[in-house]
Amino acid sequence: MDTVRLALLAGLGVLALAGGVLVFTCDSMARVTFALLGSLCCVGGVVTVLGLPYLGVAIVLMMVMEMVIMAVFMIAYMMNPAGLMPMSMLHNKRGSLLVSGAVFAALVAAVLLTPWPARTGPPPPDTTFQLGKALMGTQMLTMLVLGFALLATMVGATVLATHRGRYDRFGDDLGRRQARDPAGGGVGR
Amino acid sequence: MVEAAGWWPVLVAPALLLAGAVLAVAGDAMLAARYAGRPARAAVAAVPLLEVARLLAQQPRTLPKADRLLWRLGVVTVPVAAVLSVLVIPFGHRAVADLSVGVVWFNAMEVLTWAGLWLAGWGPNAAFSLIGGYRFVAQGLAYELPLMFALISPATAAQSLGVGDIAEAQQGLWFAVWMPVAFAGYLAGVLAFAFLGPFGYPAGRDTAAGVLGETAGVDRLLLQAGRWLWLTSGAAMAVPLFLGGAAGPGVPGWAWSALKTLLVLAVLVWSLRRLPVLRADRYAEFAWVVLVPLTIAQALVPALVVLDR
Amino acid sequence: MDLTAPLLRAAAARPHILLVATPGGTAARLAAERQLRLDGLPLAPTPADAGILLVAGPDCPALRPALDRLWQHMPAPRARAQARTPEAVADAVARCRIELAARPAPGPASAPPSDGTEPPGGLPMAETAPDRDGLSLDQLHLSLGPFLADWPSGVTVRLTLQGDVIQQAEMGEQPATRGTAPFWAEPWARAAAGERVGAGEAARRRAAAHLDSLGRLLALAGWAHAATTARRLRDDLLDGAATGALRPAVRRFARRVARSRTLHWLTRGTGVLGADEARAAGVSGPAARAGGDVAARYRTWLAAVVRDVERLADPAPLDAAYDEGPRGRGDAGQPPSEALLRVLPGLLEGAELAAARLIVASLDPDPDELAAAAREVASRG
Repeated sequence: MDTVRLALLAGLGVLALAGGVLVFTCDSMARVTFALLGSLCCVGGVVTVLGLPYLGVAIVLMMVMEMVIMAVFMIAYMMNPAGLMPMSMLHNKRGSLLVSGAVFAALVAAVLLTPWPARTGPPPPDTTFQLGKALMGTQMLTMLVLGFALLATMVGATVLATHRGRYDRFGDDLGRRQARDPAGGGVGR
Repeated sequence: MVEAAGWWPVLVAPALLLAGAVLAVAGDAMLAARYAGRPARAAVAAVPLLEVARLLAQQPRTLPKADRLLWRLGVVTVPVAAVLSVLVIPFGHRAVADLSVGVVWFNAMEVLTWAGLWLAGWGPNAAFSLIGGYRFVAQGLAYELPLMFALISPATAAQSLGVGDIAEAQQGLWFAVWMPVAFAGYLAGVLAFAFLGPFGYPAGRDTAAGVLGETAGVDRLLLQAGRWLWLTSGAAMAVPLFLGGAAGPGVPGWAWSALKTLLVLAVLVWSLRRLPVLRADRYAEFAWVVLVPLTIAQALVPALVVLDR
Repeated sequence: MDLTAPLLRAAAARPHILLVATPGGTAARLAAERQLRLDGLPLAPTPADAGILLVAGPDCPALRPALDRLWQHMPAPRARAQARTPEAVADAVARCRIELAARPAPGPASAPPSDGTEPPGGLPMAETAPDRDGLSLDQLHLSLGPFLADWPSGVTVRLTLQGDVIQQAEMGEQPATRGTAPFWAEPWARAAAGERVGAGEAARRRAAAHLDSLGRLLALAGWAHAATTARRLRDDLLDGAATGALRPAVRRFARRVARSRTLHWLTRGTGVLGADEARAAGVSGPAARAGGDVAARYRTWLAAVVRDVERLADPAPLDAAYDEGPRGRGDAGQPPSEALLRVLPGLLEGAELAAARLIVASLDPDPDELAAAAREVASRG
């Protein structure tokens, strides 16, 4: 690895860390969310520098969407939704310090103790192809199970959370009439 | 073959993008003059310049309890992302950087406008502005998936995420011809991420210009410029994705690139005043129930063709 | 090198204009809209975008604070003028442009003072209330009016929003003005006063009024081309163009708008006002005849315009019992616009904010009539 890449890695890593620190020091939910987004974009950069451009750019792409949607929800769920009153991201300080310290120690130990495989041969010119083959070949079952689990979680959480709303068409009883939606949707339902 | 050449395209690409955006604004002003019953004189072409002068001379706005940092960040993000997006678009046979994941790069830059516009709506601490920012997110949730499938279709057919490879793969038959749904979905997506014309909902007149409502001076200039830069960038990207890139008989490649880009841009500008604004409460359901399945079916076509090859 | 002077001159070449009509100022507003359209000066949708504040119409003391607030929110360079009559418009605009190019009036020093609806410092917690989905949601209180682009000026609606849904709508008080008779209902007022008015003249005024309403609705719907066409046809009608000259353009316009599937898709099912319900509330005119949603109302307007354009040369005397005014019959001294305002809260409640402006524009109460009615109430009591 040449010096330019090392310097880039170090720079992006420090920026990602700084973003992470800002997440816990900013006092507005909007700023916290976008500090986290900045941090995650730096992580995307790190992954790109490590030679996985597809994953790196896709991380930026997904995280921007995710953080914008998260901002909407986090602000909606706040005690003061205007979000203009100062707030703190720190709760249960002693407990969380203990947990995060333990997790950090475990991760560092894992990094140092894992027998990482040595590279055999030169890196492929297009890692995207390799990544696709791994995900859609040997790891196909994992990805499918993961996908269904995520979908089931989303649908399940939504069903459990809503009682009966204007976006709810049938509920659990398929014989029931549709809920009246005074505003109406786009395809006439 | 698309090649990356030296440092000078880094300056030329944004300049070309800007020139395209200026032409688009002038064209829009020309259409507005014609519809309003004024003679479309050459002076109309000066409209973009006068607008820039007006906004530069205008005092920026300060509002009580505004989040200045996030506001400015959002306002700057939109045009900067538009400029970054053109790095992967070949002009003639040259691109600033023909990344192996060019399509994903373009998509990621486009998604940055989500963050930019939400912040631009949040920052000023004003109700209509905030509604405008939220409207863009709602619109984004509706247009993004059809747009992604529209981007994936040509990439699948070319078996590459590189924009140059995709342009290269259309020897003989343009992707626009045998993937019309993806092309249409892509053009609708361009209008949507430029939030202009029928997708101008985030800056809708019914919410006093929404996300633009509280901006003045340089802030407004940047946001407005961002819209037109995005429109131009989207038109330029349509050329390698769907219209065969710089290939064409007679004149050199860069001339074909310019010609095709300007044609797509002209169609987009013409459409701006021709349709009512699509409200997200109607469009979202239509996008999810009709457009997403349609574009998925469209993405299936090149997948089957490639499998058969 | 000082770039400020040339920049200011360039900025004054094409200023954006915040056109505000006061109640009773319809004639001045029409003159201003016409002139700005022909001069190619864009109308600003908000004060933040504007360089010139042009007030069209007579003074209205009750609305002066609201006007000052708009002025407060305008960034420098800025200029302000009032055109009380249609004839004064050209002069007011020219004066403002000279002022802009020369030495601009200083803008608001820093943050414009709060208008009292939002406390500047520690914001209060948003209150929650149960919404129709059985959830407890935050409420946002938002006022529409008295001045907005494409809005009946002077009308104020206080909304309570939960998310994007209007939970409650309350009408504010109508400001009274000293002024002339309502512009759009003028032929009917003259006929009622015993003057002989031609049915053709009334048809011309009514068609122009409907086109004016359509222009607002289409502008709010974001259909720039159709809105401009509606306003051009309106101006041609008021200029006295003959049936033969107008017929093709009017028919083409009416056909395009009435047949637009997109516009219908966007407006159907919003603001449904049944015919019986409308009559019970005292609504007459196109809103009652349409007896349906926003789409039904704009189609009724279009049909009426096409019919009226054929009758421009009708010499018969106006029969007010048969030929209604643009907003319907004024019964017992109550102008038809008052009835439109009465049904408005009921239509707004439960609608989404995006539909609210369309619903108001599809009824389009006339601020002139409302101001005249408020004046009568004030003088009586």
